[in-house]
Amino acid sequence: MNKQIELEKGRVLIRVQNLSFSYGSVRAVKNISMDVAKNSVTALIGPSGCGKTTFLRCFNRMHDLYPGNRYEGEILMEGRNLLGKDVDITELRAGIGMVFQKPTPFPMSVFDNIAYGLKLKGIRNRTELSHRVEAALKHAALWDEVKDRLKSGASGLSGGQQQRLVIARALAVEPKVILFDEPTSALDPISTSKIEELIFRLKEEITVIIVTHNMQQAARISDYTAFMYVGELIEFNETDVIFTNPDVKLTEEYITGRFG
Amino acid sequence: MNILTKRKIRNKVALSLSVFAAVIGLFWLFFILWDVFRHGMSFITMDLFTKDPVPPGFQGGGLRNAFVGQILITLVAMVIGIPFGILGGTFLSEYGRHSRLGRFISTLSDIMVSVPSIVIGTFVYAIMVKPIGHFNGWAGGVALAIIMIPVVIRTTEDMMSLVPWSLREAAFALGAPYYKVITQVVYRGAATGIFTGILLSIARVAGETAPLLFTSFNNSFFTTNLSESTPSLTVTIFQYAMGPYDDWHGMAWAAALVITVAILLVTVAGRLLIKWRYRS
Repeated sequence: MNKQIELEKGRVLIRVQNLSFSYGSVRAVKNISMDVAKNSVTALIGPSGCGKTTFLRCFNRMHDLYPGNRYEGEILMEGRNLLGKDVDITELRAGIGMVFQKPTPFPMSVFDNIAYGLKLKGIRNRTELSHRVEAALKHAALWDEVKDRLKSGASGLSGGQQQRLVIARALAVEPKVILFDEPTSALDPISTSKIEELIFRLKEEITVIIVTHNMQQAARISDYTAFMYVGELIEFNETDVIFTNPDVKLTEEYITGRFG
Repeated sequence: MNILTKRKIRNKVALSLSVFAAVIGLFWLFFILWDVFRHGMSFITMDLFTKDPVPPGFQGGGLRNAFVGQILITLVAMVIGIPFGILGGTFLSEYGRHSRLGRFISTLSDIMVSVPSIVIGTFVYAIMVKPIGHFNGWAGGVALAIIMIPVVIRTTEDMMSLVPWSLREAAFALGAPYYKVITQVVYRGAATGIFTGILLSIARVAGETAPLLFTSFNNSFFTTNLSESTPSLTVTIFQYAMGPYDDWHGMAWAAALVITVAILLVTVAGRLLIKWRYRS
């Protein structure tokens, strides 16, 4: 009953092949194959507990932090299997950023928050640091709001500002991909729309994968949408098609709000 | 009598009992503080801090030797206890959090907190006094450090566990290796708490007498050489209070006042810090 499209080879950045993920005896992601197009926004939707966040966290191997995890299958990015034993996980994560549901500013100043990732990359030069911090904050449309308080603690910012700060922090290290895990579910509508605009702009340079509970959000900002249900990928297609003319009945029922 | 009146009466009885219990506890605390203050205050002079003891029968003298010795022994305890405590707590909260070894050490450390301090004193006597042949200040410092370590371990582990995992994940997601996540993000988040724990652990060991009786013992002369027996305020209080001379008793009161006020200040500073940091 699954239905998915394949993308043209030239547009594919990441190819997921027969990916399953289990922790302990629970199989949370079941045999997913799908392509992620370069410079696009791919949305993962589905009811709570369907495994979309678990799937997302496979891309930067966040699961490796916890015991009892097992990956099967492959996630190929530019020909390299991200799940391979030989992959340097810190290097992998530096190239694939992540933004979480709740804003996660570090307990330090606005400036140091952005500079953190840059320093990890080995950038020590103060002029270059401040230059790149400014660029990242402008990129995340936060510069005007924080330029006078770069030295004050990041916890003093509003929730929406904190989330844009965290996005700026992820952008500063110039990743190829950014993973968003329900980035706006803890925010008010105005902050939400600012972040949606930001994500929409980001795809010019970066590939975005976003988990969202908000179907309008997926429709507004994504190019491709994957619908998941109990760990399986049910349907994957261009967002327009998924929302106007889905092939699978389950997808239609979900997006029209009949369950979930 | 209806059920509401019954409940009100029960409430009043329970409230009265708990207030009574609290008042009894606080009464003794203030009684002790007041008594120490009343007796000690008149013996607080400049000489107390600047002069060394004189032989019995002579007038004057002070406890400079004991103040300096106390500070030296406490410093040795801090230099050993703080790094071991913080590193141990870090292991338990981070690397060892899923391992059996971690849980085992954590439990063991909690048991260590309640080991009677005199047992630790005799233990250090056996390993650092008996083999050397005489009392020494280093042994006193080590004994206090052994008391200090589990306290610092416990607060460090607790405070680091309070730093949300999402914060660590965010740092990992930027490509940070674990040691950098700990030193640059988790320590920063837990800094005030860990610092407070250290203050409280210093306050805890600064008032110990039993472990010092067996290790650094006492010395009526000024010394900064920790290889010989080293005076401390607490042991001096013990000996002076037991002694037959009135001016010894006076000085014991004064020393008791100084150490009580010092510990009180350190503890209050620690508590205020917690309150200030975690008020929101």
